[in-house]
This record gives sequence, structure tokens and C-alpha cells, in this order.
Amino acid sequence: MVRKKNIAKKIGFYILVLMLVVFVAYPFAWMLSISFRYDTDAFEKGIIPERPTLRQYGELLGLVKSIREELSQEEQQMMELIKDLPPEQQEAFLAEITAQRKKETFPFLRFFKNSLFLAGISALISLIIAIFGAYSFSRLEYKGRGVVQRSVLVVYLFGGTILAVPLYQIFVKLGLFGSGTRAYIALIIIYVVQTLPVSLYMLGNYFRTIPYSIEEAAIIDGCSRLQTIFKVVVPLSLPAIITVYIYAFMIGWNEFLFVSIFARPYPEYYTLPIGLNELFNSAHAIWGKMMAASVMTALPVIIMFTIMEKYLTGGLTVGGVKE
Amino acid sequence: MTQSVKVSTLKIKERNLGWKLIIPTILIIAALIIYPVIYNIYLSFYDVSISPGKPNVFVGFQNYVDVLTDSDFWISFSKTLAFTLLTVVGSILVGLVVALMMNRKFIGRTLVRAMLLLPYITPLIAIVFAWRYVFLPIDGPLIRLLSTIGIVDPGVDLINNPNNAFWVVTIFNIWRNFPFVYLMILSRLQSISKTLYEAAEIDGANAWQKFRSITLPELYFVIGSVALLRGIWNFYKFDEVYLMSKFAGTLPLYIYEKAFLGVPEQGVAAAIATILFVGMMALIGFYVKKVLKW
Repeated sequence: MVRKKNIAKKIGFYILVLMLVVFVAYPFAWMLSISFRYDTDAFEKGIIPERPTLRQYGELLGLVKSIREELSQEEQQMMELIKDLPPEQQEAFLAEITAQRKKETFPFLRFFKNSLFLAGISALISLIIAIFGAYSFSRLEYKGRGVVQRSVLVVYLFGGTILAVPLYQIFVKLGLFGSGTRAYIALIIIYVVQTLPVSLYMLGNYFRTIPYSIEEAAIIDGCSRLQTIFKVVVPLSLPAIITVYIYAFMIGWNEFLFVSIFARPYPEYYTLPIGLNELFNSAHAIWGKMMAASVMTALPVIIMFTIMEKYLTGGLTVGGVKE
Repeated sequence: MTQSVKVSTLKIKERNLGWKLIIPTILIIAALIIYPVIYNIYLSFYDVSISPGKPNVFVGFQNYVDVLTDSDFWISFSKTLAFTLLTVVGSILVGLVVALMMNRKFIGRTLVRAMLLLPYITPLIAIVFAWRYVFLPIDGPLIRLLSTIGIVDPGVDLINNPNNAFWVVTIFNIWRNFPFVYLMILSRLQSISKTLYEAAEIDGANAWQKFRSITLPELYFVIGSVALLRGIWNFYKFDEVYLMSKFAGTLPLYIYEKAFLGVPEQGVAAAIATILFVGMMALIGFYVKKVLKW
């Protein structure tokens, strides 16, 4: 009797687990499935693609030409049309066509590069500033340290929504507006600020776990304080440092509000979130390609996360409570 | 004598170094967070010009009057409150149940645990498209499924319909953020001493009684803090809502539209942001005192 009840309980539990898995994985399963289909098959029923293809990925990465380019005889027809024109005009015409094409292709790689650049650079700057700041918090004693620490904590609670208007006004006044490059400078600065408090707390918590005696030994051996940071603290906390970098990188990789404010007029400078969103709302809303692009946007982050999972989940909980 | 002088110079040196290392952080945060918050309050009293040549015009409380007499503002405000409340309660309930489940040993736990983090870590833009796809009218797989059961009409566009968009973004937010809650609760669960449960078992407590009188009180503080954090973040939430559906009608979307779309009214947007900010601070103060009892 008791055993029967236990088995029933167990089965019930596994059903619950299964429901949870479906709840979590459902959209991901469709995303993957659609990414392996031709655009024309995007609405075939059933989650297993009937005619699986890697074409979408190939096109996004620029490895295969789009179907339209391949099927149509555009190239030959065009050459036919312009063969009577003088050579300079021919050249100008071809250049214009190429430019036109470039505009029409799905600029996934460009968005990807832009995202990589912005998130990468700003996470790096934030990390460097945070290493010094966290060391100051966790090791050096001075008046006012507590106040500074708590203020950093509090400012983390101010969301981007409240800062959007004043930051826009400030950067316009500073002249960091009006070109893509200037917009990028503004964005890097903003991303650094957005990631700095998290970086500081995660690193500070980690630095406190390093035994002070190791540093003392280095100081006795003639290291200055600054040298101990580079020769002792940084090497010993490498996993934490990489974790913080990835964490800050993820924040930049995801950012949408500020990039949509500052980079809106410069499509060349779009990052993945704004670029894909704009494409989706334009003529390029093709499900197969959108899903393949989504998978490729997610992949770097998921891979980084999996490699660093042990540290990252720890950082999430530690950083989360202390933020 | 020489000893003490040496110690104190060392201390001064240390203090100076401490300040030097933290100064960049202080400058950046002061210039780009504290100052903008104050500047925002200042801007809220002006008719803010968007062309650099034209100066701002002081309008006193006009922006506030405009906002507070605008019924759209109050609708957005109540939607934001409802969104915050529902998402906080929802993600905590789901997170709690999932944490209790994952605290047990079962076959495949490692794999399930890894999967559970996916909604939280996957870049927003990627999962937004996946959600938009499954919710597509007629062809979206989730709509197909729900309409076969008879819950929804297959032709309904849940995401782009202002009446339903609110519910979609609410469920989406719970789905995306429950892993954060689950992680925090799980790490607390794992630190509860087994002896407490053993003692309760000797006293003949059943599973529910153990949960009521041991687990919940032990989790009180972590749940309280998570609710606060999620509450603040969701109150301000822009990207998750806007990218999922522009029609959700919460206040951050309202600010964004006022400030950056159409004919920008940045002074009005600043006034709304200020109201949001003051409201938030008051709520936090109340919450910290009453619920967390600090």
C-alpha cells in the first residue's frame, strides 16, 4: 500500500518535471526547428522539419548566395542590357547595382560584428575599472568606504528608463550625437556605467575570499600594493574575472533601449537587438532566416555560459542578493 | 615612536590608494547616474527643445499638470503596477515550486537544471522571435494547440492586440525571470540544516507541516529580497516589454514614446520619469521597513 502510493507519487513528480521541461523548452524547440527549414516551409505542421536544410545559416554567414540570386538569371540579363554602354557608364551602373544588393541582403554579420565590438569593449573597460574599485572596497581601509559602497548599491536600482531622457540631453550637449562613431562613444560610456555596479560587487565578493596572507607575503617580498593587484590578486581570481567579463558582455549584448535611442539613424551601426528588430518589421521578416539569426545570436552567449556555468550561477546568486 | 609613525604613514598611504582606486568608479557613477537623475528633475520643469540651438523654456509645473490630468498616464500607471505585481508574484511562485523540485534528487536532474537557465540567459532578441512565432495567429504552433483545445480563437493576434498584449508580456516576463528567482531560492534551500527536518519528523510532522513551519520561515528573507529586486526591475522594465509587444501600454513604454517617437516631448517624459522615480523610492522605503523589517 505504502509502496504503491510512493510509486504514484514518483510518477506524479516525473510528470511535473516533464511539464516544466516543456514549459521552458517549447519556444526554443520551435526556434531550432524553424531555423533548419526553407522559408516556404516555416508553417509546415510538426516540429520535425520535413526537408531539413542548413541553407539559412549558410546565407546568414555569407557562405551561400540567396535563392533569388541563384535562381534568377539577373546577372546575365544585366550584362545583356548594359553591353552597348560605354565602359565608364557600365562600371558606374554595376557599382550602383552592387550597392543596392548590399542594402537588400540580410546584414546579419554586420550586426553581429557591431554587437561583438560594443559589448566586448565596454565589458573590458568596465572590468578594468571594477578590478581597481573592488580591490579598494575589499582590501583597503579608509573613511567613507561604506558610504561609497552603499551608494554604488543604490544606484544599481535606477533603471535605464529614468536615465534615458537626461542621458540623451547630456550626450547631445556634449556633441556625442550626429554620427555613428559618436553614437558608439556614447553607447560605450553608457554600457560601462550599466555594468560597473554588478562587476564591482561580484569582484569585491570574490576578492574577499582570497586569503590576505598571500598578499602580505608578496608585500614583504617587496611588492607594492599595485603590484600585488597584478601579480597576486588578478591571477588568483581569474575565473571570477572571466565570469564578470562574460556577465558584463551579456548585458551589452542584450542592450536595446540606448542603442535604439542613439544609433537609430545609422543602420550601418545597428547591433543585433535593434538590427534584427528593424529587419523583422521590414520586408525581411522571413521566419526561417529570423530563427537562424536568433539561434546564432543566442549561441555565443549560451556557449560562454555553459563553459563558465559553475561560476556564473554562483555569481548570479551572490551578486543578486548583494546588488 | 618610530613604529607608530611608520604605521600611520602606512595607513595614510593605504587610505590614499583606496581613494585613488575608487575615484574612477565614483566619477563615472556620479556623472552618469546621479547627475542625470537630478538633471531629469530639472528637465521636468522645462519645455525641452530637441534642436541644440534653441534654449529650453521654463514652464513650472505645467508638465506635471499635463501628465497628471492625462487619462492615458493613469491607465499606463495602473498597468505598470499590475504588471509589476503579477510578474513578481508569478515568478516567485513558479521559482519556488521549481526550486523545491530541483532540491530533490531525480534522474536527469543535471540536464533539467541546465535547461532551466535558458530563458534567463538567452539574449532577449532571440527568444522574442521564438515567442512571436509560436503566438502567430492561425499558423503559430501555440495558437494552433490552444485553439484545438478550444481556449482561443485561431485568428486572434494576441501579441499585437492591445487588449491581450498585457497578458502576453506578463507571462513572458514570468517565463523569462523565474530562473533568477529559482536560483536564489535554491541556494538558500540547500543551506537549511537537515537536522531541523529530522527533528520535525520525529515529532510526526507531515510534508506540508514541514514546509509551513521550517522551509517557508527559512526562505522568508530571500523571498522578500527577491520580490524587492524583481519588483524594482520589472517596474522599470522596458526592453522585455517593448520588444515583445509595443501594445502592452506600461509606463516605461509611454516614456519612450513621449521622449523619442513622433514629436518628442522630453520635458513631459522627464516629468513622468520623475513621478516613476519618486513613487518607486516611496514604495521601496515602505517595503524595506514593513516587509524586510530592516
